[in-house]
Amino acid sequence: MSRNLIDQDFGSEEEDDDFNPAPADDSDNEDQKATHRRRDDDDDDDDDDADVHTGRTERYRAGSEDDARGRGHADDDEGDDNEDDEEGEEDEEGDEDDEQDEEDEDEDDDVNPRRPAKRRRRGGVLSFVDTEAGVDEDEDEAEDEEDEMEFGGEMHPDDMDTLPVGVETDDRRHRQLDRQRELAASMDAEKQAQMLKERYGRNRAAAADAVVVPKRLLLPSVDDPSIWGVRCKAGKEREVVFSIQKRIEERPPGSRNPVKIMSAFERGGAMAGYIYVEARRQADVMDALQDMTNVYPRTKMILVPVREMPDLLRVQKSEELMPGGWVRIKRGKYQGDLAQIEEVETNGLAVTVRLVPRLDYGLNEDIGAPAIDPKRKRPGMNPAVARPPQRAFSEAEAKKKHAKYLSATSGLGGKSWSYLGETYVEGFLVKDMKVQHLITKNVNPRLEEVTMFARGSEDGTSNLDLASLAETLKNQNAEESYLPGDPVEVFRGEQQGLKGRTTSTRGDIVTLLVTEGELAGQSIEAPVKSLRKRFREGDHVKVIGGSRYVDELGMVVQVKDDTVTLLSDMSMQEITVFSKDLRLSAETGVDGKLGMFDVHDLVQLDAATVACIVKVDRESLRVLDQNGSIRTILPTHVTNKITPRRDAVATDRNGAEIRLGDTVREMSGEQRSGVILHIYRSFLFLHNKAQAENSGIVVVRTTNVVTVSAKGGRATGPDLSKMNPALMRNGAPGGMMGPPQRSFGRDRLIGKTVQVRKGPYKGLVGIVKDSSDMQARVELHSKNKLVTIDKDILVVKDPITGQTIDMSRGGRGGGRIPNGGSAAPQSAWQGGRTPMGMADSSRTPAWGGAASARTPAWGGVSSARTPAWKQDGSRTSNPYDGSRTAYGGGGGFGSRTPAWNAGARTPYGGSGNSDFDAFAAGSRTPAWGGAANSGGRTPAWGGSASNGTKGYDAPTPGGNYSAPTPGAYASAPTPGASAPTPGGWAESAPTPGAFNAPTPGGPAKRGGYDAPTPAAFDGVGGHTRPYDAPTPAGAAATPGAGYDGDDGGPRYEEGTPSP
Amino acid sequence: MFFLKEEIKVITLHPSFFGPNMREYLITRLNEEEEGRCTGDHFVICVMDMVDIGEGRVLPGSGQAEYTIKYRAIIWKPFRGETVDAIVTSVKPTGIFTLAGPLSVFIARKNIPSDIKWEPNTVPPQYTDHADQVIEKGTSLRLKILGVKPDVAAINAIGTIKEDFLGPL
Repeated sequence: MSRNLIDQDFGSEEEDDDFNPAPADDSDNEDQKATHRRRDDDDDDDDDDADVHTGRTERYRAGSEDDARGRGHADDDEGDDNEDDEEGEEDEEGDEDDEQDEEDEDEDDDVNPRRPAKRRRRGGVLSFVDTEAGVDEDEDEAEDEEDEMEFGGEMHPDDMDTLPVGVETDDRRHRQLDRQRELAASMDAEKQAQMLKERYGRNRAAAADAVVVPKRLLLPSVDDPSIWGVRCKAGKEREVVFSIQKRIEERPPGSRNPVKIMSAFERGGAMAGYIYVEARRQADVMDALQDMTNVYPRTKMILVPVREMPDLLRVQKSEELMPGGWVRIKRGKYQGDLAQIEEVETNGLAVTVRLVPRLDYGLNEDIGAPAIDPKRKRPGMNPAVARPPQRAFSEAEAKKKHAKYLSATSGLGGKSWSYLGETYVEGFLVKDMKVQHLITKNVNPRLEEVTMFARGSEDGTSNLDLASLAETLKNQNAEESYLPGDPVEVFRGEQQGLKGRTTSTRGDIVTLLVTEGELAGQSIEAPVKSLRKRFREGDHVKVIGGSRYVDELGMVVQVKDDTVTLLSDMSMQEITVFSKDLRLSAETGVDGKLGMFDVHDLVQLDAATVACIVKVDRESLRVLDQNGSIRTILPTHVTNKITPRRDAVATDRNGAEIRLGDTVREMSGEQRSGVILHIYRSFLFLHNKAQAENSGIVVVRTTNVVTVSAKGGRATGPDLSKMNPALMRNGAPGGMMGPPQRSFGRDRLIGKTVQVRKGPYKGLVGIVKDSSDMQARVELHSKNKLVTIDKDILVVKDPITGQTIDMSRGGRGGGRIPNGGSAAPQSAWQGGRTPMGMADSSRTPAWGGAASARTPAWGGVSSARTPAWKQDGSRTSNPYDGSRTAYGGGGGFGSRTPAWNAGARTPYGGSGNSDFDAFAAGSRTPAWGGAANSGGRTPAWGGSASNGTKGYDAPTPGGNYSAPTPGAYASAPTPGASAPTPGGWAESAPTPGAFNAPTPGGPAKRGGYDAPTPAAFDGVGGHTRPYDAPTPAGAAATPGAGYDGDDGGPRYEEGTPSP
Repeated sequence: MFFLKEEIKVITLHPSFFGPNMREYLITRLNEEEEGRCTGDHFVICVMDMVDIGEGRVLPGSGQAEYTIKYRAIIWKPFRGETVDAIVTSVKPTGIFTLAGPLSVFIARKNIPSDIKWEPNTVPPQYTDHADQVIEKGTSLRLKILGVKPDVAAINAIGTIKEDFLGPL
């Protein structure tokens, strides 16, 4: 039943206009006409002769139904019925039949009562009339009407039956009207209202019916008319439907050649290029559409399956445009531009929008060839010329070249300009546009676009109609922006004020679990429109869309209705966005990745340049390179990303060790400080939270910073826990000599000819090419192949004699000696040790950092650095140097142990060398009291401080080796000689200079046996301080006492710090 | 807010420390390593006492001993809404950086009362209402913590002084 099909509720309250092409207003008229016609038919039927079908009533009924459908108005039927009832007196039988047979009416589809035939069936006079009527029939409805008009006045009601059709009809109308009036008058108001309602309030009446009848029964079945989809020209669907409507008006049902379709409609959108026609037979469709433009009934029609019919009529809510809302322009110069709706015409088809103009004010006019027709689209047109940037209209600029096109008009709303046929108000272009040229869905205005529309305010946001913007935004992507778990708040409607978390989203409905208030724990549903996300100040959030701040992380600092201000973690800047664009973030770090790149990553730009990423945009990176300049690069310009080395170490200005994560401060300049993010050669990339620019990244040179604090409270001084000698790599001194020392620096084994004692290579001879702790890479003579062999199964052989050489002893001495002779004087004396010294020294700096802390403790005598030296001197050198000294110098000394205790001590004393001495001496000196010398010396020290001090400091390094030196050889000269050297190699070099040598010498000798040495060295130091010798001697005693008690090892440990 | 919290820490001890002073050493280690530590959730202010130093267990293979120490410590966990006193470490156009003990708190411009304005031309730069309230480096502030963002080994917070009784002391 087409009526059912049309009337039933398909889930949308609103009727689609498209569906009913014919305006509803005509219905009255047509009703009446229809009624008349039917009555005619009835009459005919009544008078029917033998050839009338038995089921005539039904047939008639079908016919009338068809008529009604043809008009495409379901309500007409209602009207018909009503009227039929009213007119019952006149044609009772027929009407009653109608009522009864209504259910069966569909059965005979084909019955199509032909009026001429029926009319002809009238007997008597009427047959005469009939012929005339037949002629009439060919004319169109309009003529009919005219006829009616003509005859209307003259006819006598009594003649009605004998009169021609048209006349009779006309009269009927009058009578009918009268009757209606009577009836109306006789009815009480209530009844009348009811009736009117029934007649005109079709929707409601139908809906009321629908309540009773189960919906599924209303669905179309195979018995109902079919719907065919007919191809038409895309975009012309509506036109086609209108022309069908017109055609129906021209050939109404009941006319000779009626249009036998029930309805026609189009769906637009996804189904562009099709119109749908409801009819009993395909031929009817063909007939109805014949010779119509833009529609192609000859092509294959699609028969819509019954089950899909309801879908065809499912109505989508048409976009409601509101002034203040946002749309985008579909095409033209402003394609894609955001526009604000100023006004909506009542028909909803045209709107006035406000745009930010794109004008070039004729500046590019001459660039294009004059021949080009501006209306014509040129694919090759320079887009830059074609599309100037968005800027507010400026009359000043327009006047420059286009003064003739510019005219001002002033009205109530202020001044407006007319320029090149367009109107500009307050800098905006105000334009009338058709709705179909606008994108009204998923407009997604971005905040920066919207700010362009803000009138007159500086920062844009304050003056914005954020409410309307939010409104526009709210209509979109509900499901995207609300995810389960989001905290939301109902801000309007009955449930205003409810707070909860979303649990699910379905279309525009969000289900939320109320978390606060009386309803807590309940699950309610709310439309997206009435929801907004709720954030509290301090929430850590992420921007998920809607603005250029996508992916920023930050903490909420302010919440005002729909807008949230957050403080970006990355840039420490305040960002204002809509709450719908935010989501709570569990991420802690700074986010914002571009592929593999992240903010604060270190990247290599070219062989010589590295840079730290300070900002990651969607397609580019902003980096701060090692020279401190900022540049924007593409990810492709990055050679590679440098993964930070955890163990990267550098030294600051004071020689203290700095690592990643330490806090340092610039010494000069702006004294910037920060946490070390990256160490690259001599550059540090620091991160300073308090700095907004460059995401807080600063680049500095290592030589220009001092340590403020080390990461994790790592002592900037030495690690006390590591002071435990037992933990030292070199094992405990003294009694527990432990395993053989690891040699420092180059493995002596390298380059040696060795023989393998065991294993598969047993007996083979080769040369050690490289070595590690335990193993050596040996190039075998026989196989010309490098093999890795444990060191302990190698024996060193003399390459020439083939004799086994004991590396642990003589070998080294011998080996070293040449060294000694070589450039470094200090090393001269003891090959073995010197390198050691060196080695130590190499280590020293490392210690240095630590040491400085202690320095002051030491008695402040020395500069911060000195102690450091001592430190290591003491520690590092002692065991070895000492031990070695002992060995090396062994000859000279008595028992080895003492010797080496002494040595041990000495060296560090010595290592502490100059200053050490100094301090030792110094400290001691005073202690001593007074020895004239000391007195003498002290000043000397002090005095020397300037020169002298340095002297020591430097010596420190010197100390290490020097210590041994003196020890062994005791020859004053050597140290002396060495003196310079240390200076040379030590960084502090300059200072140590000459003095150190002596100093160390001094201390070295200080040991028990030292006594002489000091003397010797006195000679050396002599120039500086003649008395030194004694003092040290004395000193020697003192420390001596200390150590002597127990073996040097622990002692010294304690000893060192104690002074 | 401050809490007394019982925690557990495992300390590994090198054999060279084995001896009579081991206990002291453990205590020292514990103090050194724990006090001042930030877990990302709270700061350990002070180790009060040790509830239990378990028996050391020698780890096979290394010879080191592992001690599980139960101790009680005073910790500070900053909460949203907590009011704290802090010292300004720097003032910038974007806001004020402060330190409330170990916690760095940032006060955004939006959270500074509107009558206290950024005054870049003074030395040092300051926020001031041109009356008795001057906020510059070193000023003591009373602020309310708005939000706390835990990090791996740090806590960052933002605060406000835009309420009654907050602001420079």
